[in-house]
Amino acid sequence: MNKNAIPQTSMIESILLQLPLRLFLGAVFVFAAYNKIPAIQSFAEAIKGFQVIDSETHPELIIIGAFVIPWFELLAGLMLILGLRARSAALGIGALLGVFIYALLYVIFTDVSADCSCFGDENFICGSSVGWCQVIRNIVFLIPATYLVLRGPGRVSIDQIMSKPDQNPDSYAYHPESLSNPVDADASRA
Amino acid sequence: MRCMHITSGLLSIVGAAFLFGTVHALVIDPIDISKVDLNTDGDVKGGRNNPSDPPGGPVDTTPETDTGSGEPPVDPPVSEPPVEIEVSDAILDAPVPEGTLTLRQAHKLWEDGAYFIDARHEHEFEEGHIQYAAWLASSLFDTDSDRAFGIANSMPPESTVVIYCVGGECDASHNVARRLAQIGFTDLRIMGVGYTDWVAAGFPTEEGSAP
Repeated sequence: MNKNAIPQTSMIESILLQLPLRLFLGAVFVFAAYNKIPAIQSFAEAIKGFQVIDSETHPELIIIGAFVIPWFELLAGLMLILGLRARSAALGIGALLGVFIYALLYVIFTDVSADCSCFGDENFICGSSVGWCQVIRNIVFLIPATYLVLRGPGRVSIDQIMSKPDQNPDSYAYHPESLSNPVDADASRA
Repeated sequence: MRCMHITSGLLSIVGAAFLFGTVHALVIDPIDISKVDLNTDGDVKGGRNNPSDPPGGPVDTTPETDTGSGEPPVDPPVSEPPVEIEVSDAILDAPVPEGTLTLRQAHKLWEDGAYFIDARHEHEFEEGHIQYAAWLASSLFDTDSDRAFGIANSMPPESTVVIYCVGGECDASHNVARRLAQIGFTDLRIMGVGYTDWVAAGFPTEEGSAP
């Protein structure tokens, strides 16, 4: 079996489940990155406001996070939308959601007053102040991320197109006309 | 092997994100999180600051260039007699997040001549905003700091500044308040209701582009 194998799913599952989930989750993270990348200073301040990282001893971690997280969100979101290395992208988004949930719980249980800034200056579903709404929202986002890691991006994806022919069930179909003339057969392979 | 494939893909994304982030860090002005005073967050959420409190950060964060000179000053409100409008108490005193202004309090400050800052998107401001309000989004400090400081410098730091956004608990007004606190503004208030509530109450609005 090829190491790049992706789970084979039906066309119905691909179109009704995998594609919409990919587009939704990818769009959410692209939207989040779109609002953060032009305002890195604000995002760095938001990370500092969470007080998960000690800004006195490790300010560099906050600055690195402020620059890397939005780009990670953008790249992973785009790759999820396109279905390019989608399982890796979904795994990355899932891991990021795990980090976000930890940070939100830290803020909630330590009574720190912090703004989420999850989508820059914008809000999505929840308000600005950190609370259980953001935790639940991120847990809900974890569901499609986990599903996409386990089931792959589906047939409507670049991953599927780039997968080896022997992984495509259609390639097992017998086409006698392509074998009747060796030249034609070679041409069709090309 | 599949796990290896997924992991290598994930590492590729992380590597690319570090690469883009590094390039990004090189092309923009350096960020400085030491300017942020964590305590200002609580201060600026609508309530008047304690006058004995120091400003929430270094005052000298204005660029060396004279950015304020080219910016038109924010229109000071109220040179006209207040308009009598019938608005129900339920709207005026609708519950707001703790420490923020109700619609009644915000309107009273507007009548008293407080400065109003619209922290929404620029296109939303242009489509309609509270009369005499100026547009200032927190992201403007990152994308066009000259313009942002120009707008901020057009208001006296000790003046009462009311900041609003869409409504509810939107982040935008809090973020702008934090920025203004850093550059020395001491009386920052946040409207607990949003622009749509102001419109629903029939209070004065106007259209027009941001300075």
